[in-house]
Amino acid sequence: MRVLLLPILLACLGAGLVLAQPAPVPEEGADSIADYRRMLREGNPGELWVARGQQLFHAPRGPNAVSLEACDLGLGAGVLDGAYAALPRYFEDAGRVQDLESRLVHCMVNLQGFDRAQLLQDAFSTGERESDMEALAVYVASRSNGMPLDVQLEHPRELELYRIGETLFHRRSGPLDMSCATCHSRESRRIRLQTLMNINSPVQVREVMGSWPTYRVSHGTVRTLQHRMWDCHWQMRLPDVEYVSDATVALILYLTEQGRGGVIDVPSIRR
Amino acid sequence: MMTLNKTRFAAGLAAITLMLLVTACAGPESGKADASGKVDYTKMSAKELGEYLIFESNSFRLDMPTQEGTTARERMMQDDLQMLCSQTRNQPSPEQAGRIIAEARASMKYPEGGIQLGDWQRGGNLAWGGFGFRLADQSDDHSRRAADGACYNCHALSPQRTGGSLGPSLTGYGKSRGDSEATRRFIYEMIYNPHAYFPCTNMPRMGYKGVLNEQAIADIMAYLLHPDSPVNK
Ligand code: HEC
Ligand code: HEC
Repeated sequence: MRVLLLPILLACLGAGLVLAQPAPVPEEGADSIADYRRMLREGNPGELWVARGQQLFHAPRGPNAVSLEACDLGLGAGVLDGAYAALPRYFEDAGRVQDLESRLVHCMVNLQGFDRAQLLQDAFSTGERESDMEALAVYVASRSNGMPLDVQLEHPRELELYRIGETLFHRRSGPLDMSCATCHSRESRRIRLQTLMNINSPVQVREVMGSWPTYRVSHGTVRTLQHRMWDCHWQMRLPDVEYVSDATVALILYLTEQGRGGVIDVPSIRR
Repeated sequence: MMTLNKTRFAAGLAAITLMLLVTACAGPESGKADASGKVDYTKMSAKELGEYLIFESNSFRLDMPTQEGTTARERMMQDDLQMLCSQTRNQPSPEQAGRIIAEARASMKYPEGGIQLGDWQRGGNLAWGGFGFRLADQSDDHSRRAADGACYNCHALSPQRTGGSLGPSLTGYGKSRGDSEATRRFIYEMIYNPHAYFPCTNMPRMGYKGVLNEQAIADIMAYLLHPDSPVNK
């Protein structure tokens, strides 16, 4: 069904997509801004993924035929509102720092009985197969819409992973001597027409980090931060970074802390 | 730059004594991207932690075969220059910069018959292409064709197409610089190992690292310098 629906939706959106990243707007008229944002969201195909994620999250699934409603995303079992805003965080029951997607994998394995290796393998949509994870992630993130990014960064393991993330961000390697900073540490730099986020610009990082997962028009699906980590490593000619690995969580924690205060507003929409 | 405040860091440091306990009690998380629970990371510096994480935590598919005939593990290992530039955040001290420049000079290898210009049309394709060295389930197959230079990612080149802006515009390069022996040598060395001029530059060492061969460098140089090239129109 989506195959048919999407092109139509996209065609209807048309030029509207170009406007989809609103310029920063002044405080006054907060209501109309909220309306405007809602309007944009309603025209965003990513909303279909949010809806599917909601359905997937609350339905009994997996070998154990239970829903994810008992999943503790950091604020207690079943608490979704605001949970994403404080991720990644350290989870006692897992003994590690987890981002949104690692935590969802954890719950799907431990509560629902899914096979971990299979979940990792199916995490990104491909041409033939639609990912459940992308839908779940954007649904859970959307339950923090309007809230500021606010990672805890108190547990020693969180602090430690933050420092690792910062180091990894600046670590050059590979045939092209690249680090993340090569492309993401200057103002208004482009790769062709794509403007690159500058890690030294808090305003930009807040905006970026508050807007993932995002609907990527060129991919025809919602993509998550885990996917972005994979994509940028690929561009750097480095080996595939494993889904929900420590390296990805370290980078995401580092970026999220740099984006502290950024207001969550997902799904956004990107090229 | 750090947005972490001091008290938080102090809290973190104070908590380090707890770490042995924490790590010892770290719960099980099965699966392959998992090894971190068992190690006391806190005894290491951030850099050591990063190295540990890269090589021991199964975060990367280090066993992927690469186009250069190694495994991806080698790609993740840093050479001295990469290490120094990472540590200094690309701001080497004057003394370090001097050493980097000297080493880059010593690394240069020149074509036997002198630095010649190749075919600017082929050079244009190489400058605008992004093929090469990418690893994935279907990695770039170098037996099909050689790697591109991907200059367009960082430079404006011909006025007809949009290039990147991580590096300076090279539009009209030959027209403004002329095609002298000195210019050829400079461009050749920039492509071979730009740290000879800009220590810890973001520009890759495409000759030194074997990304581009002699012929490819000659073709790209022609694209920058030849009067008929769109770069100089
Ligand atoms: C070769 C250049 C390059 C390198 C190196 C690179 N990236 Fe990127 N990055 C990009 C491009 C291109 C985009 C897409 C920008 C767009 O869509 O407008 C991007 C997008 C992103 C985004 C999303 C930004 C947004 O606007 O939503 C994040 C986050 C990011 N990169 C993180 C990283 C991290 C972490 C690393 C290191 C592991 C890294 N990048 C390395 C080129 C790079
Ligand atoms: C990752 C980005 C990047 C890539 C890819 C790249 N460059 Fe550069 N280049 C730079 C930067 C940055 C500078 C400026 C030097 C500095 O300040 O570090 C530069 C400088 C140069 C200069 C010197 C310009 C001057 O001042 O006269 C030349 C010539 C050049 N590049 C050619 C190339 C060619 C040819 C390619 C492709 C084979 C290429 N570059 C690929 C980033 C890049």
